[in-house]
Amino acid sequence: MDDSDAATARQPRVHLRPGSLRDAAPGTLHLLPCEVLATRAAPVERFFTPAIRRGPDGLRASFRGRSLRGEEVAVPSGFVGFVMATEGPGAGLPDPEPPQRDEPPERGWDHRAAATASFGRFTLWGLEAVPGPDARVRGALGWPSLAAAIHAPVAEG
Amino acid sequence: MAAGVDGGDAAGARQHVFLIPESVKDAAKKMRSGLMFVKLVSPCSGEGAMYLFNMCLQQLFEIKVFKEKHHSWFINQSVQSGGLLHFATPMDPLFLLLHYLMKADKEGKFQPLAQVVVDDIYPDCVLLLKLPELEKLLRHVTEEKEIDNRKYYKYSKEKTLKWLEKKVNQTKAALKTNNINVGNRVQSTAFFSGNQVASDSEEDYLRYAHGLISDYIPKELSDDLSKYLKLPEPPALLPNPPAKKIKLSDEPVEATEDYTKFNTKDLKTEKKNSKMTAAQKALAKVDKSGMKSIDSFFGAKNKKKK
Repeated sequence: MDDSDAATARQPRVHLRPGSLRDAAPGTLHLLPCEVLATRAAPVERFFTPAIRRGPDGLRASFRGRSLRGEEVAVPSGFVGFVMATEGPGAGLPDPEPPQRDEPPERGWDHRAAATASFGRFTLWGLEAVPGPDARVRGALGWPSLAAAIHAPVAEG
Repeated sequence: MAAGVDGGDAAGARQHVFLIPESVKDAAKKMRSGLMFVKLVSPCSGEGAMYLFNMCLQQLFEIKVFKEKHHSWFINQSVQSGGLLHFATPMDPLFLLLHYLMKADKEGKFQPLAQVVVDDIYPDCVLLLKLPELEKLLRHVTEEKEIDNRKYYKYSKEKTLKWLEKKVNQTKAALKTNNINVGNRVQSTAFFSGNQVASDSEEDYLRYAHGLISDYIPKELSDDLSKYLKLPEPPALLPNPPAKKIKLSDEPVEATEDYTKFNTKDLKTEKKNSKMTAAQKALAKVDKSGMKSIDSFFGAKNKKKK
């Protein structure tokens, strides 16, 4: 990664538009237990959403003929979910939002990112069974509370 | 392994799923700019890592990525492969400052902070100097001198170890009060590495907390901290070395026979594994992986350990 000076000298900052955090519309997110290699538009509302059934033991759906079981999972308290998209490099374009006084001048190769959707919960899907309490995603969702303890300032003296 | 924000590929179709503190969203109401993702050094590995700066409130957040095989997102009317989940959590900037203070300490003299926090590879480290109450923070890990109203700092290992001990203790307390870690089932299967010792012993908590803090400090300091905390050498099964290695190396000849049987069994089951579905394979992998530190939260990273 640090193979050439040219590469290392270009550590782009990605500026996140604060306005986009305010305005992001609520989105619907599903975490699937399979890898779909494509990243693009997909008619989720036409095929996936209508197949979701709510039963006494959680949600059921199917994808590519396989049966999925799901559960709605809330984002950790004190947190908000956002979907971010990077916008093209801002090279040469005038900055629509002038930088604040104490911010170093923006460099030509910097990128911009914006929140395109927000969410407070998402649906976690498992193959044939709802991902159990040992699922790694659930472990990861416990990270913020632990991180808070690790990074809280300690008392002096 | 950047957090993925650095992609900026031409398609522009890539979407990143983030969890961000509400405070950042609230602050965003008043700001027009000043939120940015930058690449800085990881104080543990010395490699690049992604951070989020809130220049308005002058806060630093680290970005951690949950990554597990065989996941994808449906986001509204789109599909995003990878299934990554990014976390932006508040970061104690002292860990990063410490990285530079320890480096500068090789010169063995008192220096102004602006001469200490310099980096050719990650020049954005100067942003750290803008964080509030740096002087107060630095007292935990440095000796300081004031000459002509200018402050000069020098790394103090003694003070740093004391500071780290407090960090370990507060992390240990959080591990205990935190449901995720105290639940017996979760603890034994996910948080501790198949250790047969009663999984909630004081020593296990201490070792685990030490492991978490060690992800923010260089290896040498982690070893020193281990001695300082009087952590006993972990019993034969260190979390990291693969089980196979142990089997192949130190076993007496007689025992090897037994282990060979196990080995062949292992191979058979591995062959069986190849008949499993992809999802099941992923699950099997998850169960096996030794879990020790922060990595345990974010799936298998092929992180180089020094």
